[in-house]
Amino acid sequence: MLSNRLRLQAEELRVIRGGKEVLKGITFAVAIGEVYGLLGGNGAGKSTTLLTFLGFLDLAGGNARVNDALVSEDVVAARRSIAYLPESASLYEHLNARENLRYFLGLAGSAGDDESMEAALDRVALPAEARDRRLADYSKGMRQKVAIALAILRNTDTLLLDEPTSGLDPTAIDEFHDLVRTLADDGKTVLMVTHDVYGACQVADRIGLLRDGRLVGEFSAPAGGRIDTEAVHRAFSSREAV
Amino acid sequence: MSHVLLLAKEEWRFWLRSNLALSAAILFLVLLVTTAILTTVRIAEERHAREHHQEKAESTFLAQPDRHPHRMVHYGHYVFRTPSPLAAFDPGLDSVTGQSMFLEGHQQNSATFAVSGASADLGEFAWLTPAVVYQLFAPLLIILLGHGAVVRERESSTLATMLAQGISGVTVLYGKALALFAAILLMLVPLLVSGGAAVGRGETVLAAILMVAVYFLYLSIWGLLALFLSVLSARRATALATLTALWLALTLLLPSLAVSNAARFLPIAGQIETGLVMLSDLRKLGDGHNVNDPAFDRLRRDLLKQYGVETVEELPVNLRGVVAEYSESRLTDKLNEYADRRMAMEQKQAALLARHGWLSPLLATADASRAIAATDLNNHQRFLKEAEALRFDFVQGLNRLHASKLAYIDDIKRSSDQQAEKRTRVSGENWKLLKDFRFKPDDVGTRAGNAWPSVLALLVWFAVLSIASVRAAGRIRL
Repeated sequence: MLSNRLRLQAEELRVIRGGKEVLKGITFAVAIGEVYGLLGGNGAGKSTTLLTFLGFLDLAGGNARVNDALVSEDVVAARRSIAYLPESASLYEHLNARENLRYFLGLAGSAGDDESMEAALDRVALPAEARDRRLADYSKGMRQKVAIALAILRNTDTLLLDEPTSGLDPTAIDEFHDLVRTLADDGKTVLMVTHDVYGACQVADRIGLLRDGRLVGEFSAPAGGRIDTEAVHRAFSSREAV
Repeated sequence: MSHVLLLAKEEWRFWLRSNLALSAAILFLVLLVTTAILTTVRIAEERHAREHHQEKAESTFLAQPDRHPHRMVHYGHYVFRTPSPLAAFDPGLDSVTGQSMFLEGHQQNSATFAVSGASADLGEFAWLTPAVVYQLFAPLLIILLGHGAVVRERESSTLATMLAQGISGVTVLYGKALALFAAILLMLVPLLVSGGAAVGRGETVLAAILMVAVYFLYLSIWGLLALFLSVLSARRATALATLTALWLALTLLLPSLAVSNAARFLPIAGQIETGLVMLSDLRKLGDGHNVNDPAFDRLRRDLLKQYGVETVEELPVNLRGVVAEYSESRLTDKLNEYADRRMAMEQKQAALLARHGWLSPLLATADASRAIAATDLNNHQRFLKEAEALRFDFVQGLNRLHASKLAYIDDIKRSSDQQAEKRTRVSGENWKLLKDFRFKPDDVGTRAGNAWPSVLALLVWFAVLSIASVRAAGRIRL
């Protein structure tokens, strides 16, 4: 059951990067407890959209709001209420999993205790024997799991996930989708960027289709059901607006 | 504050786990400690040797037998400038100005090197002092540690992860700065030890603290420069290349240019050139050894009139001694005129060089460091002036002995009459008129005052870079 209260709002967002208009006035909103998937090909503006909610980019027009507040007015407050999972898990290679979690949680102001850290690492199925090894020795998927554990441990109301299943094996992807659903059921808001049509349809309540910096269509899951993968796939492959 | 501390601790952990940073730090430490030991030993030996030579010169002068006072004027005397306690850290101009001087009648000699081995035995490496290691090489270590502080995070995308935890770019900068400043403090430990040792040798605690503060300021400027460029750069290689170019410009090119500017815009005539002009001027003053020189006609007339006598033989004073005293006085005035002119030009050159400190922190630091160590031009010139005052004092003392104790008639016959020659000898007890010479560095207040303009330049560098870094970090981008 979705709440009507909105947690993330993009209002006519326009962003110019390197002289090119990457976002051309997109508008959408994500409610409390909702999983919103942003689908699109390479260069569609998916990751850029996420970065606007974190205040990492200057807006050429429009507004980004987190919990009704303009991000540009208090960027630190916006970041504190969001757990962000970047596309390639950007953690320290010279630290092990536990050290990474402890450090970044420290920066977030939430001192994670050993017990909850182990629980989060268990939840993302990171092998126990790997937890004391430096990330330099990890595979891409293992790093991604540590980053997901960090996002879980942040225990924020909102999660921004940039290609979260990239590098994960099929089993881990399924487990991750289950995790996202559980978090949403607990009232967390999830904005997920992906080009995995099947994965997005499995987990999202709504999907927005981005093409060349414009939101060209939206799909909603029917009550108690899932979004029609075929319909989304057709729209994704088509050059027409939905 | 806890975030800043956390960021700083993490930076340190990165350095400690990075072989490059650790190796560079160890290399720097070895270079610094080796240089400190070599310079301290060298300066201690020079100090000991000069003190010994000073005592020996004085005792040798005093031990001279009874003889004609003017022979003692030409026998002369040596003075030595003992190095200040902080010279073991920064010998400054000592290695190029000379620290001993032969004092004799009728001329002002240049300062020369006291001990033959003082500079030569260490060959061309004598320039590598702890102060030079801090001024030239410490910035390289700071560049190595600091250039990647922020841009490294940007390149590996961990900057996004950090900022996404809800910290600001300014907090990131403060954390990195704290780590770098802590490293700088650690780099200053050998200087603290050197300062402590100088205090043990008689230096004031305040001077040692000032020296540490100047170098902390200097190295912090390099730290801020590294951080500023790290915040602005998109690539680590860009930051490193820019900082290396700045290091070359600020520590090598600009100082060379400054020296060249000082010599070009405020040239000082060479010693031979000045010497020829001076010799011509001095000849006009007459020959003090010849009482019949027309230059002293008026003096003779005035003396005869003063004592109411007809001939110089009737004078109650020895005309030769009076002429020697009079001639020495006029000659010294002329010599001092040239020396003052030269010193004023040297001061102008030094001031112009110091003003380049507004462009190069190394020049400002070197100037302040020499001033605090009392190894600067001011102390060298004071040594020359005090040595000259001593020379004039004992030469005139001997001339007065000549005038008052020796009969003129004996004086003119002494080369042909053995008895007259004996009577022109005065007791060796009279040589006690020579005063002790112990050169003392400027007091700490004067040294701080001399260093102040350069310290001000360093403070401005620090303030400007701090403001620029904070502003850049406030607008930090991924």
